[in-house]
Amino acid sequence: MLKAIYRLAWKDVIADFRHRSTFSSMLFFAIAVLLVFQAAFEPDPQEAQRLVPGLLWSTVLFTTILGLGRVFQAEEENGALEGLLLAPLPRGAIFFGKWLGNLVLSLLVMTMLVPLTLVLFNVTIWGHVPMLLLLLFLGTMGLTALGVLLAAMTQTARSRETLLALLLLPLVAPLLIAGVQSMNSVIASGSLTGPWLNLLLIFDVVYLALAPWGFGWLMEE
Amino acid sequence: MTPLQILDMAHRFGRRIVLRRVTLRVEPGECAVLYGANGSGKSTLLSLLATRLRIQQGSCLLGDVNLQTHGDLARRYIVLIGHHSHLYGHLSPMENLLFFRDMHQVAADMDALADAIGAVGLEPFAHQPVRWFSAGMKKRLSLARLLIARPRLLLLDEPYSALDQDGVSWLNGVIHRFQHQGGLVVMASHDPEKVQPLRHTPWHLHGGLLQSVTESHRC
Amino acid sequence: MNRLLAWNRWLGWGTLLLLSACLWMVFHVPMDYQQGNAVRILYVHVPSAKMALFVYLILTLFSIWYLWKKSETADILAEAAAYVGAAFALVTLVSGSLWGKPMWGTWWAWDARLTSMLVLLILYVGIIALRNAFDDTVKGGRATAILAIFGAVDLPIIHFSVVWWRTLHQPPSFNQSASGPTITGPLLPPLIWMSVAFVLLGMFLLLLKAREIQQRRTLDAMELERASHA
Repeated sequence: MLKAIYRLAWKDVIADFRHRSTFSSMLFFAIAVLLVFQAAFEPDPQEAQRLVPGLLWSTVLFTTILGLGRVFQAEEENGALEGLLLAPLPRGAIFFGKWLGNLVLSLLVMTMLVPLTLVLFNVTIWGHVPMLLLLLFLGTMGLTALGVLLAAMTQTARSRETLLALLLLPLVAPLLIAGVQSMNSVIASGSLTGPWLNLLLIFDVVYLALAPWGFGWLMEE
Repeated sequence: MTPLQILDMAHRFGRRIVLRRVTLRVEPGECAVLYGANGSGKSTLLSLLATRLRIQQGSCLLGDVNLQTHGDLARRYIVLIGHHSHLYGHLSPMENLLFFRDMHQVAADMDALADAIGAVGLEPFAHQPVRWFSAGMKKRLSLARLLIARPRLLLLDEPYSALDQDGVSWLNGVIHRFQHQGGLVVMASHDPEKVQPLRHTPWHLHGGLLQSVTESHRC
Repeated sequence: MNRLLAWNRWLGWGTLLLLSACLWMVFHVPMDYQQGNAVRILYVHVPSAKMALFVYLILTLFSIWYLWKKSETADILAEAAAYVGAAFALVTLVSGSLWGKPMWGTWWAWDARLTSMLVLLILYVGIIALRNAFDDTVKGGRATAILAIFGAVDLPIIHFSVVWWRTLHQPPSFNQSASGPTITGPLLPPLIWMSVAFVLLGMFLLLLKAREIQQRRTLDAMELERASHA
């Protein structure tokens, strides 16, 4: 079963680098969002340092939505989703395969996003970069778990990309709050503890446990 | 070797009733061919047998595996080749078969995959993306899965569409060998002539009921 | 369900009667020494906030029932509940904002309860939008039911995260209102009666909407039947 999950994720990552290039569109979209923030707020370096957590998390959120819109694109061609459901796997395993593929791409984007943001906004907190990345990675696990489920939910709906954003944003409000607050405390005190980190972890655990179950119900016909 | 037993199966989509009462027994080595107009429920019945759709009423046993309660287990023994090829356009035939192998947890090494591709005549294209293939080539590739999967129950939905003369006789050969090894086949088709060379039992699906063809001729 | 719908007219008249009686009571309570006449808004605000949450609970139960039993009645009631809940959430936000202007001096404050209520409203709107984005009622019903259950799990997390967040940042002058206005003494009985009236109102609206949805679905099914015969 692990092999099947790996193969499913492999297929999506390979697809992306060969053909659909979600990765590069996500990356350049993220840069465009940063540009928008710069134009809108014109922060001086001190303000910028205060804004960094918010900037990072909102950019991550918007870019993730962009990526999630395409998660099931490959499965639409030639009825491949039906093909997946015919495999002797629990529905949850299929969910984890799709989730893993999306997670890998999102994490790659984030790894490049953090240094880019610091450079573009002239913030010199390079010592905190590993912590910031760790927090983004933790948040992205829950974010993409919920996101892949919602992508599956809206996959056959009309105007699905709008719908995906509308459904995802209110549900991830706690994640956004916890992410921004924990980053604030990292930048302020350099330590990675406290209730916000716990909230981030709770969010991850809840959605990684529930989303496969929801996916199973969704695919039930 | 195990029979397939369908007992009083009924299915509806929302308020629309598709299958009223279907009872069918397929013995090892038998090939049941379903005829019927478009929308008569042939594909629905095949989807139910493939456990793609949840069984709403009645029961279905493959040997002693209950399809309703043990779908994950039953899918190990079932392969459906349907209208859709289930292929990924950006992957080559080799990669598509590799994907199929890992998803279905079949034991087959790379040589076996290459052999299967050779057997359906796609060797020259083994490493090109499937996206640019013709409908017939895609059909051949999806049929190549039969060669590596070795299922107990083979479900075929319009298997002859898009195949040329050679393809049809090749497929009939594969089905014939499969029958000989005691496999079960359920097929939906519109082409009585192409099925003719096979040893098979024809059925007619009409109004959600299954009738043997001789019976429906009498009506 | 049909018999229930037939009785709904009487429920409607009863609700109207009780609501008018309650409004009479509300305008005859003494003015609050601190809040003045604005306190009367709370008689709409508090019950509708409770109802917005209560209807979500009902929506979740109908959703579970639908996934479990595949009952179309549960699906219709779940669909109706989303509209009713959205209406209550909207009334809560608007009345809260009307109350906030004289009390806080602003129409809107990122108070923990108001923020949670706003998220709840967006969630209701999302549920309605998801349902309407499907032509197939079975698929739409299932997707919506799963979303509603996910929302039910998320709502407590949203609420607690927002409370933590706001109590961390709140200027002290708002703290009193963040803990919620308390109503005691002679002001209390009208609030209780008003809450009863709102529960009846919620039931009435739910059944009214459910009937409309049921009729629309029957029409759609007939249309489909005719199209398939033609």
